[in-house]
Amino acid sequence: MANIGEYVYPGDVVKNVKSIKGITIIGPGLRQNEENPNTLCISQAGKLCFREPNTYWIEGKRHRYIPKKGDLVLGVVAKKAGDSLKVDIGSAEFAALPMLAFEGATKKQKPDVQVGDVIYARLLSAHREMEPELICVDSYFKAGRLGVLPNDGFLINISLNLTQRLLDIKDPLLPTLGKKFPYEIVLGVNGRMWLNAKQRKDILTLLRCIEAAEAD
Amino acid sequence: MESPQFSCKLGVLSRPDASVIFCEGETVVMAGIYGPIEVKMQKMLIDKASVECNYRPKRGLPGVEDKLYESLIRNICDTALVTSLYPRSAILIALQEMHNSGQLISCAINAACLVCLESGIDMKFMFGAVTCFLTNQEELRLMPPISDSAVKASFVFVLDNVKERILASHTEGSFSMEQYEEAQDLSRKQIKNVFAFFKKTLNSGKEM
Amino acid sequence: MAKQYKSLHPVKYYRDYLSHNIRPDGREFDEFRPTLLNVGTIDTADGSAISKLGRTTVVCGIKAEFCKPKAETPNKGFIVPNLELSPLCSPKFRPGPPSDQAQVLTQLIADIIENSHCIDLKDLCIFPDRLAWCLFVDFVCLDFDGAVVDACILALMGALQTLCLPSVDYDPALDNKLVNLEKRISVPVHSTPISTTFTIFDDKIILVDPTVDEENLCSGILTIVLRGDEICSLHKPGGSPLTDEDLSSCIEKCKQRATSIKDLIKTVVKDYNNK
Repeated sequence: MANIGEYVYPGDVVKNVKSIKGITIIGPGLRQNEENPNTLCISQAGKLCFREPNTYWIEGKRHRYIPKKGDLVLGVVAKKAGDSLKVDIGSAEFAALPMLAFEGATKKQKPDVQVGDVIYARLLSAHREMEPELICVDSYFKAGRLGVLPNDGFLINISLNLTQRLLDIKDPLLPTLGKKFPYEIVLGVNGRMWLNAKQRKDILTLLRCIEAAEAD
Repeated sequence: MESPQFSCKLGVLSRPDASVIFCEGETVVMAGIYGPIEVKMQKMLIDKASVECNYRPKRGLPGVEDKLYESLIRNICDTALVTSLYPRSAILIALQEMHNSGQLISCAINAACLVCLESGIDMKFMFGAVTCFLTNQEELRLMPPISDSAVKASFVFVLDNVKERILASHTEGSFSMEQYEEAQDLSRKQIKNVFAFFKKTLNSGKEM
Repeated sequence: MAKQYKSLHPVKYYRDYLSHNIRPDGREFDEFRPTLLNVGTIDTADGSAISKLGRTTVVCGIKAEFCKPKAETPNKGFIVPNLELSPLCSPKFRPGPPSDQAQVLTQLIADIIENSHCIDLKDLCIFPDRLAWCLFVDFVCLDFDGAVVDACILALMGALQTLCLPSVDYDPALDNKLVNLEKRISVPVHSTPISTTFTIFDDKIILVDPTVDEENLCSGILTIVLRGDEICSLHKPGGSPLTDEDLSSCIEKCKQRATSIKDLIKTVVKDYNNK
């Protein structure tokens, strides 16, 4: 028996699930209980969270990124395979990024991407059974902020929980640092962070802060 | 009855997705997990993740006996993890024996469970293992006797935390039906301590 | 039509049969396959037997060699079992070093031999700290159709009953051994462990003596080895959980099985000795 806000463990069961017209939205760490319809099975250790009216999820520690459709991720080009790039986004499998998925790319005019380049892209599709597919343009075929990142920045790996925290607008860390010195930062929800600043000193300060936030 | 003390430390290694050093009494096992990761073509399963287990003894190369432990732990993890969520990938559990004073198998299984929980891979239930010893005086105990020759039989029970059913059982030595049932009852009592320890550890997220 | 259905939907095929309380090969859930045992099959071995459980066939041969006992156990010999799963017995095995499964089964058999004390290792000692017998027990699986451990243990028991070692005169002063091949003595067999394998299908149905298809499709395997009234191994390597009631009913079935298998061994060995 598990209550909202408590720390729960695999095998526990959530009873009296709230639903609207029989629909309940469940997030990571929860599964539908086949034996008893009005309950949920917990499959991850973590804090059970609930948001009105019918959303449940588990806030736990996840270490490996599982691709989700629509996620903005940072990846490293692992190999070039004809008209498509294979990008390492930290999931079980490399993601495919077609050469034509860049702004203004045509069959004749392909973007200049090399193996090892860092790419900020959106996940177009992420099915368990298929390799994830990336895209570097939005629905208007504009790149926006997506695409190949400049070579003078730094890519670091951070935990998935920390990325979520930093992406929260209310989180004070990044704005506070921004008041001290200018810097550029790109966060991928796959637990990667790309950063750059004008001075070496500032980059080091940034890295230190991230490290401290990680240990927190 | 005297029972082994547990202690553990999470996140001891930097490369695996999760790692743990687990001590049960004087027995110590280190475990690490990677997953879901890329899978070899020949081991790929199209409908679920392939669970692999790699067990290393304290010294020397893994022998035939270690393969038995390896397959035991692999089977347990395969049942407990929701492998259907990660098709065409692999989950790799690496175990390293650090010290054995009798409860090696149960300690390794407990370490494997803790590392699975810590990694955040979906599980159907938790599992835990208990070793019981039957001494030559026909007395059941949870602590390993000082000398191996004093043991008539030893039992390892792996139970789940939902209905406390038997997930796996491994025995050494010979014993009667009644003794087996007694050992089972004893391990049912002890398994509560194991799960309580798991919960305490995960909840605090720090070393215990 | 049934054949195509079986290969397309193997699990459903089984479920359909099992829902009518029968297995695809016509057996009840708790019915064993016909069991055959032949002892003294290989002339060149010191003891040998062939066992068959349905189509599962295992040949067991025992070869004895001299060796020096270990320093920590100077009055004990050795038994070294080895199971070979060659490509001959099933397409899933490849030539080359033993597969993981072969190693796991070998270890299980070694554990059973040790736990059941069917052979007292002290009987294998010829002269303490100098000379002892080392029994190489080789199992070759000819047809891999499930419950291989059961077949191996049955063949082992048959082979041990026919095991005759040449008598040896050992002169410790000169380190001289005189082997008398004509005068052979049998090794006392102290107990007869009987192994029975069960599979758990769909977490509920328990099938005894499974075929290889049943082993592959099932959600759990359980092997119980009995020695008289005592259990000497209860091996359940993971798989779906089992309740206590199911477990005791399995042990009960195993007891009945042990009686009939013991009679089988007794009859076969008697026939062999009368020949």
